[in-house]
Amino acid sequence: MRATRVLLGAAGVAIAAYGVSLLLDLGFANLRATLEWLVGGVLLHDAVLAPLTIVVGAVFVRARRAGLRIAPLVIGGVVLASVSIAAIPVLGRFGERADNATLLDRNYLVGWLVFAGVTVAVSLVLLVRGRQRP
Amino acid sequence: MKLEALAPPREADFTSRLRSPAVAARVGVWLGICFVIAFVTGLISHEAHVTHPFVGFPTRPVWLYRWTQALHVASGTAAIPLLLVKLWSVFPKLFARPPRRITELAVESLERGSIAVLVGAAIFQLASGVANTAQWYPWGFHFRATHYAMAWIALGALAVHVAVKLPLIRSVLGSPIESAEHDRPSTAESGPLDRRTLVRGSLLAAGVAVLATAGSAVPVLRRVSVFGVRSGGGPGGVPINKSARAADVVAAALSPSYRLTVRHGARSVELSRADLEGLRQRTGVLPIACVEGWSANGTWDGVRLRDLLDLVGAPRGRDVRFTSLQQHGPYKVTTLPSQFADDPLTLVALGLDGEKLALDHGYPCRLIAPDRPGVLQTKWLDQVEVL
Repeated sequence: MRATRVLLGAAGVAIAAYGVSLLLDLGFANLRATLEWLVGGVLLHDAVLAPLTIVVGAVFVRARRAGLRIAPLVIGGVVLASVSIAAIPVLGRFGERADNATLLDRNYLVGWLVFAGVTVAVSLVLLVRGRQRP
Repeated sequence: MKLEALAPPREADFTSRLRSPAVAARVGVWLGICFVIAFVTGLISHEAHVTHPFVGFPTRPVWLYRWTQALHVASGTAAIPLLLVKLWSVFPKLFARPPRRITELAVESLERGSIAVLVGAAIFQLASGVANTAQWYPWGFHFRATHYAMAWIALGALAVHVAVKLPLIRSVLGSPIESAEHDRPSTAESGPLDRRTLVRGSLLAAGVAVLATAGSAVPVLRRVSVFGVRSGGGPGGVPINKSARAADVVAAALSPSYRLTVRHGARSVELSRADLEGLRQRTGVLPIACVEGWSANGTWDGVRLRDLLDLVGAPRGRDVRFTSLQQHGPYKVTTLPSQFADDPLTLVALGLDGEKLALDHGYPCRLIAPDRPGVLQTKWLDQVEVL
């Protein structure tokens, strides 16, 4: 296993170094804009999103201590939150253009309400069925 | 508020049994699969875009690029919930106390550095990729080149991470998921659900994310893809990326003096739209497949490109340069490799779905070749030049 690890690690360093060289070839202005997003993404996760999950997690833990079997709600929350994050670009319609009706051609807000409604409804049904079971 | 409430948390403050290597390794395996699929399909897309690829891009099957690019976007979309759960499961490690001995500190600093690169690159790739699918560019970097460079950095950092963690990964995956053997000492809280349910839940979220977006490429999913960027609307059932107005070609495209120039060395012909309609017409079903992951099949009518090249006596095996009427933009001039130029399916299209080509689809005429990225299917053709 040691040889595998050394080989894999060395290959990883070489592959990443090639990526860095490609990035440097794109010029300083491009590099600065890239680094802003690279660092910004990590900060957004570590300083905003992760603390939020701690707050929500604390609520779930309290509910669990109160004797509720809330696993379906937690999973519903994971689905709802993560898919909503993936849908931010269409929900915000940031790429919309007046001269192109074929782009972003759905009502995403209605879509999100349907998605959220189905997710919450399924979670609640599973929650109730779980509580009925002995 | 007490002062210690303002202090950052310590690793021991995280008590959930779910934040464990058992969850991180299992979600990580799926996340790694998604990243490798995205990397390989991304390389294929890169090969399709560059003028001089490492290996010549194939012309068959005609739907190859359509499906590799749909797979690229789907695997990236699936990775979003998986990455979020994975980062959640390892978050306490961020607050681990650094070791005191200098050699251990150096090793740990290196490992943390590699993880910072991996996390940064992973978030960067998924965020920039999903924004690109919706044509949202809120940044100052060149998307395609930077996304490509960052893919190598992400893959390299992933390989280093797996190399560092391999003994732990093997040991964790070899034990039952609920085993406490590899847990942090502070994990006592039984939590509202078991680990297996969390892993299955994150896979469910990944699947839902794909179903909710894949309708842009998979027509049968259009009704359930509530977050799809395209629903197959548009003239002839084919969506549009750049309109004639955005490309600033309306006047030139509708001008009665429009002529398509076909040139090979000193020989050239100039053809009006009526001249093109007078040549032998062919019909073919070919997809438009964009780098953003959406695609649609069209039934195109037009003149076989090879027939036009024969008009100026061009030999086979030559690349062909296409120039659009559009005045600016990176795809005003594109080069079609010879295998596509000589392919009997490659058309200079005059019509779509039995109707005259719409202005936004490239009227008076456009290139449509099998198995090519959409941006290289040059619209509003001005010149065709044999190289």
